Amino acid sequence: MKHYIILTVILPLLVAFLLPTIGRFSYFLARALPPIILIFSIVITACVYNNETAPFALHIGDFVAPQGIVFHVDSISLLMALSVQVFALFLWPRRSFKLQSEQIVSNKRYSLMLLLVASANGLAFSGDLFNLYVFYELLAVATFGLISFDTNEANQARFAAAFRYLVISATGSVMALLGIALVYFLTGTLNFAHLATQQANLFNPIGLSAFALLLVGFGVKAELFPVNSWVPEVYSAASKKLSGYLAGVISKLAVLVIIKALLFIFPHSEAAYLMLGLGLAGLLIGELSAMRSNDFTRMISWSSVAQLGLVFIAFSIPGQAGIIAGLAVLFHHMFVKTALFLIAEKWGGRISDLHGQGYLNLIMSGIFIFVALSLIGLPPLPGFWSKFLLLNGLAGQEYYFAIAIILITTVIEVNYLFRVANHLFSREDKPVLPINNHHWFDTLTASLIVVALIVAVWELPTINDQLIIMSDQLLDIESYVNRVLISTENGL
Amino acid sequence: MYQFASFVFLLGFLFLISVITGFLPLGEPPMLVGQVIQNNAASETGASNFVTSVVLGYRGIDTLGELSILFAAATAGSLVLSGLKQKSIESGDAGFLVKSASELFFPLLIVVGLYIVLHGHLTPGGGFQGGVILAAAFFLPLLAKPSKSINSLALGLIEGLSGAAFIIIGLIALFNEGAFLKPFFENGELGSLISSGTLPLLYIAVGLKVGAELASLLNLLNQEEVNDS
Repeated sequence: MKHYIILTVILPLLVAFLLPTIGRFSYFLARALPPIILIFSIVITACVYNNETAPFALHIGDFVAPQGIVFHVDSISLLMALSVQVFALFLWPRRSFKLQSEQIVSNKRYSLMLLLVASANGLAFSGDLFNLYVFYELLAVATFGLISFDTNEANQARFAAAFRYLVISATGSVMALLGIALVYFLTGTLNFAHLATQQANLFNPIGLSAFALLLVGFGVKAELFPVNSWVPEVYSAASKKLSGYLAGVISKLAVLVIIKALLFIFPHSEAAYLMLGLGLAGLLIGELSAMRSNDFTRMISWSSVAQLGLVFIAFSIPGQAGIIAGLAVLFHHMFVKTALFLIAEKWGGRISDLHGQGYLNLIMSGIFIFVALSLIGLPPLPGFWSKFLLLNGLAGQEYYFAIAIILITTVIEVNYLFRVANHLFSREDKPVLPINNHHWFDTLTASLIVVALIVAVWELPTINDQLIIMSDQLLDIESYVNRVLISTENGL
Repeated sequence: MYQFASFVFLLGFLFLISVITGFLPLGEPPMLVGQVIQNNAASETGASNFVTSVVLGYRGIDTLGELSILFAAATAGSLVLSGLKQKSIESGDAGFLVKSASELFFPLLIVVGLYIVLHGHLTPGGGFQGGVILAAAFFLPLLAKPSKSINSLALGLIEGLSGAAFIIIGLIALFNEGAFLKPFFENGELGSLISSGTLPLLYIAVGLKVGAELASLLNLLNQEEVNDS
C-alpha cells in the first residue's frame, strides 16, 4: 500500500500532460477527469494515513538513500497533502464555457491546476533539497499561468501582477538555488537525512548565509517579509478562489520546506533569530498595511502576510512548544483564510461599498464575523488556542518583545476586521449596492469551514494529541535518519 | 528612489557573494554522494554516460519535475499569448538563402537530433539537448515560409503522449518492481546502443516531449504574428 502514495504526485502529472489533448475531443471528459483524479488521490492519502504505517521512507527507483531521491511520509506531510487535495477539490474552477476557443483555454487552466496540486504534494513528501526545489519551481510556474488566466476580458492588471510576481519569484528562486549550491558545496549531499548527519560542516558563516538565502528564496511563496510585496496585487488580480488556495494552502508548503531546513540542516539559534526577526517584521507590516487598505481583498491579503509572520515567529521558538504552536497557527490560518477569500469572491472591492450588505446576506456575513472572531483569537474559538500556544511558547523563551508586538497587532486586527463588520451592518441611510449572492457551492464550502472550526473546539484534546504526535515525528531526527539511510538494506 | 534601492540591493548581494566565494574552500569539494555515484553508476544503471545515470536513474523524478516545469511554462505561455492581439507584420517568403538553407538543414538537424536523443546514455547529450535540436529542425521551414504553420493537433498529441509514456514507464516499474521509475530490463553490455535498461526509452520520451513543446511554442509565436492580418 505505502508505495502507492507516490501516485498522488504522479497521477495529477499524467492527467495534466494528457488533458489538452483529451479536451480537444471531449470537453466533458476534460472537465470530469481532474476531480475524479483528485478524489482518487484523496482516497489513497487517507488510506495511508489510516494504515498507521507512517512514518516511513520511500526510495524512488529503489536507489539507496543519499544517492537516490527519498520521499519521507509522516503524519504532517500526509495531512498537508490531504489538505492540498481536499481544498483543491472544493476550490476547483467550476465555470463551464460554450465557445470552443474558450474551452481550449480553460482545459489549459485545469492542467495547470493539476500541476499545482502535484507539485504541492511533492513538496509535502520530498526529502531531498534539490527535489524540493524542482517541485517549488513547478509550483511557481503553474501559478504564473493560473494568475494570468483569462477567457474574455482583456484584463491588463492580471498580466502586470503576474509579471511582477514572476520577477520576484525568479529572484527568489535564484537565491534558493544559490543556497542549495552552497549547502552542496559544504557537505557534498542534498538528502535531508544525510545533511542532518553533516550539520557540523554548516555551522559557520557560510552555512548561515546559505540558510538566509534558502529562507528568502523559499520565503517568496511563504509571504516572508522582504519578498512579499507581490501578495496584495496578485491576490486582488487573480480569481478569488485561486487566491484563497494560494494564501491558505500553498504558502504553508513553502513554510514546511523552510521548517525542514531549519530543523535538519541549521538547528542553530542564529537561524531561529533570523526567522523570528523577519516574522515580526512581516507581522507588523502586514497588520499595519491591512489597517490602511480600503479594499476588502487587499485587506485580507495583508492580513495573510501578518498571519504567516505569526507562523514564522512560532516556528522560531526552539523545541517542541514552537513546533506545536506553529502547526496550530498554520492549520488554523489555512481554514480561516480560505473562508475569507471565498467571501471576497463577491465582496472584493471597496469596503465602504459593503455597507448594509449584512442584512441582505445573513449567512455570509455571519460566516465572516465568526471567522474574523476566530482570527482575532476570541476564546473559545480555535484561533484563541493557537494564539495561546504561541504566546505560551514565547513566554517560555522570555521573548517579551515579540509577545508585546503580537498583542498590539491583535488590537490592530480587531480594528480593521470590525470596520468591515460595521459597514456590513451599518444603519446609515444610504442605498445598499446590489451585489450578487455567492454561488451556493462557495457558501457551502465556507459553512463547512465554520463547522470544522466549531468541531475543532469540541475536539481540542484530540487535536492536541495529534499535534504532539506530529511534532514528535518532526523532532525525532535520529529515527528519520535511520528510516531514510538504512531501511533500504532490509528490503523496504 | 526604487532605482537607488535596487542599486543598494545589488551592491549588497554582490558583496555577499564575493565574501562567500572568498571563504569557500574551492578545489576540494567533499565528494560524499558524488564519489559513490561515480563508483556505482556503471554497474547499477549500465549507462556509460554518468550524467544520464543521474538524470534518469538516481534522480529520475527530478527529470519528471523538469519536464512538468517546461510543460507548465509552455501552457502558461500559450495562455498569455492567446489573450494578446498583436499587429501583424507583413510576412511573405523569406528569400532564396533562408529557403534553401532550411531545405538543406532540415534532414540534417533531424538526424543529429535523433542521434543525440538515442545516444544519451552513451555520450554527452540526451533528451533535452536532442529535443531542442528537433524543435529547431521543425521551426526552420516556418522561418522560410512564415505563412505556414505546423499542425498543432499533432504536436499536442506527441507532447501529451510522450509525457505520458515517461510516466507510464515509471508506473510499470511501480506495479512490477515495486518502486516508481526503477529501471527494468537487462543492463546489457556497457557502451552498446541497446543497454542500460529503460533509460534510453525514457530519454526518447523526454526528447519527443521537449521537441514538441518548444515547436508548439514557436508555432504559437509565429501564428500570433500572422493572424488577423
